Amino acid sequence: MHYDFKLAWESMPALLAGTATTFTVLLPVLVLGLLVALPVALARLDSGPKSVAAAGYIAFFRGVPSLVLLYLVYSGLPQLSIVRDTFLWTFFSNAYVCAWVGLTLTHSGYMAEIIRGGLAAVPSGTIEAAAALGLSPRQVLFRLRLPMAARYVLKAYQNELLIMVKSTSAVSAITLVDLTAAANTVFDYTYDPFTPLVTAAAIYWCIINVMRIGFTLADQKLNRHLVRN
Amino acid sequence: MPLMGFVQQIGTGALVTIQVAVLAYLLALLIGTLFALATLKRRLVVNIAWQTYASIFTGVPSLLVAFLFYYAGSGIISSVLSLAGLNVTIDISPFMAAVAALGMVYGAYLADLIRSAIQNVPPGQFEATKVLLIPRPAAWVLVILPQVLRLALPGMTNMWIVVLKDTALISLIGLKEIMAYAKLASGVTKEPFIYYLLASAFFLGMTALTYFVSQRIEQWTRRGYRPVAVKGPAHAL
Amino acid sequence: MNAIAHVSPVVATSADPALPPAISLRKLNKYYGAFHALRDVDFEVANSEIVVLCGPSGSGKSSLIRCINHLEQHDSGTVHVNGMELTRKAADVARVRRQLGMVFQGFNLFPHMTVLANCTFALRLALHMTTPQAEGVAREYLAKVNVLDQAEKFPAELSGGQQQRVAIARALCLQPSVMLFDEPTSALDPESVGSVLRIMEDLAATGITMVCVTHEMGFARRVAHRCVFMEKGEIVEQAPTDQFFRKPTSSRLQRFLKQVL
Repeated sequence: MHYDFKLAWESMPALLAGTATTFTVLLPVLVLGLLVALPVALARLDSGPKSVAAAGYIAFFRGVPSLVLLYLVYSGLPQLSIVRDTFLWTFFSNAYVCAWVGLTLTHSGYMAEIIRGGLAAVPSGTIEAAAALGLSPRQVLFRLRLPMAARYVLKAYQNELLIMVKSTSAVSAITLVDLTAAANTVFDYTYDPFTPLVTAAAIYWCIINVMRIGFTLADQKLNRHLVRN
Repeated sequence: MPLMGFVQQIGTGALVTIQVAVLAYLLALLIGTLFALATLKRRLVVNIAWQTYASIFTGVPSLLVAFLFYYAGSGIISSVLSLAGLNVTIDISPFMAAVAALGMVYGAYLADLIRSAIQNVPPGQFEATKVLLIPRPAAWVLVILPQVLRLALPGMTNMWIVVLKDTALISLIGLKEIMAYAKLASGVTKEPFIYYLLASAFFLGMTALTYFVSQRIEQWTRRGYRPVAVKGPAHAL
Repeated sequence: MNAIAHVSPVVATSADPALPPAISLRKLNKYYGAFHALRDVDFEVANSEIVVLCGPSGSGKSSLIRCINHLEQHDSGTVHVNGMELTRKAADVARVRRQLGMVFQGFNLFPHMTVLANCTFALRLALHMTTPQAEGVAREYLAKVNVLDQAEKFPAELSGGQQQRVAIARALCLQPSVMLFDEPTSALDPESVGSVLRIMEDLAATGITMVCVTHEMGFARRVAHRCVFMEKGEIVEQAPTDQFFRKPTSSRLQRFLKQVL
């Protein structure tokens, strides 16, 4: 068992194409997940049926593996005539769309819980002080509570983001050739599993660590006011 | 309607999922505890080994690790053993690869969790056992461990659910567990909703069961402590 | 009869010259990295003597008593307890610690054990008593510190003063010949301080040897035979209690007393 540098170099275009697919899946999911999570988190902090529904949403999509959701969207939705026989089919016949939707459901479940935790951690005295200064509830939310919550949850968001990067490896199950799948394809052609898989692992490692460095820098900038020991 | 034959298969698959997850979690606990204890004191060589291990296994998807172990594992093991002059071939099954991959990946996360729990036990507790002449093994098991458990339990519970769910993903290496059978049944019957929702119900049920059990254990570990009203934001890891 | 009958009462400070001193430190040095916490400290405590250590924070008082029971390891010099040298050998450390009881500022009770279990724990595991035997001893000492009625509760259900009294009982259960107190009342609310000091006064009257790091100068005046003033890792001045407070010789002690009294 040895690492074949020549093969690694030759398979680089295929692996980089896989990396591009990984990012094509990942980036829309991060944006969509955040957009869905925000109203869910706010509903969860409310009371009454809205809060119960939000709690159900969070529990369901955090409890079910993303692979199940990908399969449900990819092969389950086309069974519904409302999807198959309408304009929706143009979307859901595309594996990328299915990957975006499936992973967004998981990501938004986790993000809603993170945002809820961050908002709940904002001291009520601060909110009352802002209201006393004459800010509208909307201003209080967008100018005060969310920015403060963002600072609190940076660490949790980092964890979640890194998990999402790694979770994208599930999309090979619905025919997309991401970085993991690309490495497996190289293996199929060359019968050398070690070289392409280790190379792919190295690429993932670089992506993850660049993000970690980015978060450390963001943390230093955003949380300047916290004294560290 | 779901066909009973497929439902039975999915049940069998669910048992495999539980087996893989339990064994992987026990392996992760073992690795995590050993690394946590080894890195409590600053020792250069141990720390470099730990940093390298943690960096690799938290920086790579568990699915990729599982593929690597499954396809290249037997080659890696024979290369290592041949260095020791042994000529052995070990066949790696998807089951073994899945347990090893999940155990080693989540061992890295559990080590951090366990170490910080040990470090958060007040130093006075160690000192009290010393001045009371409590033998070291008894001090660790009867004084430190219960307090470590109390601090680490919420994180360990989350980690167990993550391992369980990741077992579903690992099915892609060819493991015959719940997802593989759900996919098979969906393909044959053209009724994907039924079987995938069945699989969802299994994971949701396991999550609910986990929280039920962990709350019982938490009540036990928290005996003697005043209830803490403030809850921090929940994270996946 | 005193509330706490402990070792057979000995006439205070009249140490038997045939017996070695309870505690004897010679040329003791302790560093934390580059910080020199104890500088060539010589310190002796006779049998049945009550000594109070005082001084500003960071002066080395706590380090000094923590070196006596090897919670801190001294870098040079010697420590003897009842004539036994404290070396780095585990057997020596255990033998010396067997002579010493320790009460901490933060109580350090085991939070997951009841008050009674806290006290029986060492009796069962270190002295290998049976549970009924251990509980008998524990109840006896819990009664002496007036917390027997709390025996089945967990530490967190008790007030600070009650917790510290449990900690004292827990240490006494092992029947040490010397009690070390490291700021036993500093973490307490003002109402609790008195209850703990009263127990310590009762204990002092039994003739046990005591070394107390404390800021309670009233307690020092009433109970201590000798007071020791430390600053910057050195013993600056020590004298019989009366003389210590009435006629401090060094200007540093005079300044300190003016601040705390």
